Amino acid sequence: MVNSENTKAQMRKGVLELCILSILSQGDAYPTEIIETLKETRLVVVEGTLYPLLTRLKNTGLLTYRWEESTSGPPRKYYMLTEIGATYLKELQVSWIELVDAVNKTIQQKS
Amino acid sequence: MNKTVTINISGIIFHIEEDAYDKLSKYLLTIKGYFSNADGGNEIMSDIEARIAEMLQSKTSAVKQVVLMSDVDYVMDSMGKPEEFAGDSQDTHSNESKDAEFEYNYSEPIKRRLYRDGDSKVVGGVCSGIGHYFGFDAVWLRIALLLLFFFAGTGFLLYLILWIAIPEAKTTAEKLAMKGEKADINNISKAVKEETEHLKKRMEKYGKEFRDMASNNREIPRNVAEKTVDFITDVLMNIGRVLLKMLGVFMVIFGVLFFLGLSGSVFGLSFLTDSNNGGEWIDLLLLDGKDFYLGLIGITIFIGTPLIMMIYGGIKIVFKIKYTNRWVNLSAGVIWLVGFLMLLYVGIRTGGDFNKTAKVRENVLVKPYETLYLKMHTTPVNYEELNVSDKEEEGEKDFRINHRDNDYMIGNNKGVKYLLGHAQLNIIKSQTNKIELVIVKEAKGNDKRKATERAKNIAYTVVQTDSLIDFDNLFKVMNADKFRCQDITVILKLPVGKIVYLDKSLENLMYDIENVTNTYDTDMVSRRWLMTDNGLKCVDCDGLVITEEIEIDSNDGSDEHIKINVNGMNINAKDTRIKVDSNGVNINSKDSKFTIDGNGIHVDSKKKKNK
Repeated sequence: MVNSENTKAQMRKGVLELCILSILSQGDAYPTEIIETLKETRLVVVEGTLYPLLTRLKNTGLLTYRWEESTSGPPRKYYMLTEIGATYLKELQVSWIELVDAVNKTIQQKS
Repeated sequence: MNKTVTINISGIIFHIEEDAYDKLSKYLLTIKGYFSNADGGNEIMSDIEARIAEMLQSKTSAVKQVVLMSDVDYVMDSMGKPEEFAGDSQDTHSNESKDAEFEYNYSEPIKRRLYRDGDSKVVGGVCSGIGHYFGFDAVWLRIALLLLFFFAGTGFLLYLILWIAIPEAKTTAEKLAMKGEKADINNISKAVKEETEHLKKRMEKYGKEFRDMASNNREIPRNVAEKTVDFITDVLMNIGRVLLKMLGVFMVIFGVLFFLGLSGSVFGLSFLTDSNNGGEWIDLLLLDGKDFYLGLIGITIFIGTPLIMMIYGGIKIVFKIKYTNRWVNLSAGVIWLVGFLMLLYVGIRTGGDFNKTAKVRENVLVKPYETLYLKMHTTPVNYEELNVSDKEEEGEKDFRINHRDNDYMIGNNKGVKYLLGHAQLNIIKSQTNKIELVIVKEAKGNDKRKATERAKNIAYTVVQTDSLIDFDNLFKVMNADKFRCQDITVILKLPVGKIVYLDKSLENLMYDIENVTNTYDTDMVSRRWLMTDNGLKCVDCDGLVITEEIEIDSNDGSDEHIKINVNGMNINAKDTRIKVDSNGVNINSKDSKFTIDGNGIHVDSKKKKNK
């Protein structure tokens, strides 16, 4: 049952956490903003993926949020990084660079 | 023109077309179903709803006020299918995934669920699916089911139930879940344990939260109340989940056991009718073979359908299968009703054949004698042919044949069945001066004619040899006539002045024969009885010992008792005594005394004297 689509989806999912944390490190954002950024980079195909992830990150203490009234719709949940989140992100960034390096090397060796 | 519904999503009001509303609410329910077990499920849900509200808002304007189907489709497209994103919902510790190497399944292993495997199926993929779930080769299961097939087709049925109950893995997510992480239920006890642990954890968590809340005055009271309600609901839900799982297991086990029992007895009835006692009775009750098979199918459906549904429901509970085939319940109901109607039809047809009762009187000529000797003739029977169990001792067999208590017996002579019943005898005063003997034959049928015909078919004989009359104790009905409450009563009409001698053997034939002394049947035998104007009177009963009496003793060892017999009555209660005998009536209480005897009536009050 080799399915390249599935593998690609799993890969995207793998880095999603890192991406969300990175986006939030540049400033607080509410889900729609996060989604728009992610959609531009084609990291997220369906929006639904984001919400469970955000809740989980919030529950583990990496994120927190505040409510902000919106002029055009329901109140918005603005997510921001916590201190732990910021540290965590740094760790992830380091290991990501290492990983990309390692993967690239492996791929180049093979080809 | 389309009907619209007004809905409220995340506090924003929308007008939405009815069909679009149906689709959207179904979609939201599905998502909810996926997140219902997840940590923070409610929060995820409200976030998603807020986003949907935002999207719908962008799709409506002052000009286009109504949400259309296409808008809902747009929302669903951009939000995605629940199964595509629900994988992230399960709570996990990010510390673990941080250290873990890049895994195929990003956040955590997908929980294993039961699905049918359409990719490696033989029939419906049930066996391969279960094989994946429990981690063994499906071949063994296939062999086991094939073997079970020979037990009244149980294997086949079980397979069908599983086929309907278990959904096929269609999407990639489902296929992944089918072969997912083994950490899910490997066996039932573990599942129950998991649920209990989960419950315990929840309890602890809530207990802690509650304590925190109690020590934290900043919380507003309404919030405390809300949390308490949440807590109680959660605890109840968890207890419910554990109980439900156990119920599911019991449902499957009992369902299968009862079903095996049912199919066993149905097969027993249809194939072993000749050597089966219950089957013979059914054969004698029902009109024909058509009714028999109709009734058999009816009862199988009537009992079997609920059992199958029980197994089906149990499987769904145990394996947490959320998918429901809505035709299942409906068709089960219809099938059950059909079974019920079949039974009803057979029942009404059979019951109708008991509708009318007919009595046929046959007069037997009796040569007159001053004294007639009446005796019971034990009808010769072939024990081998009777359904009296082989294990019974010879004496017990005799008892069954000779005593009225065992009313009917079935015999089987080389496939020809017959019914044996006990006759009864009564002796009354003749209105003429002739001795008459009437055999009253009784039977039932759906009309008078059929009942009469059946009554005439009852075989029974009375033989007179000089002054001796022999009464058969049994009558015989052939199977063609079925069992229709056939009965024989022999009435001997005796003119005044004639005497009958009742032989000891008559004990089991006599039925409440009236006499002037109200003597019981069992005490009437071995004596001569003279017919008088008032009825039968014993001529040699002097010294007859009447054994019948009622005696009630208090069980605490005191002297209190009640005793009633032919000599009178004696009641000895606390502080009270009532005595009725040949001397008169004597009532003696704590404070008074009342006497009727040869001297008259006396009433004494002890109280007055004391004053």
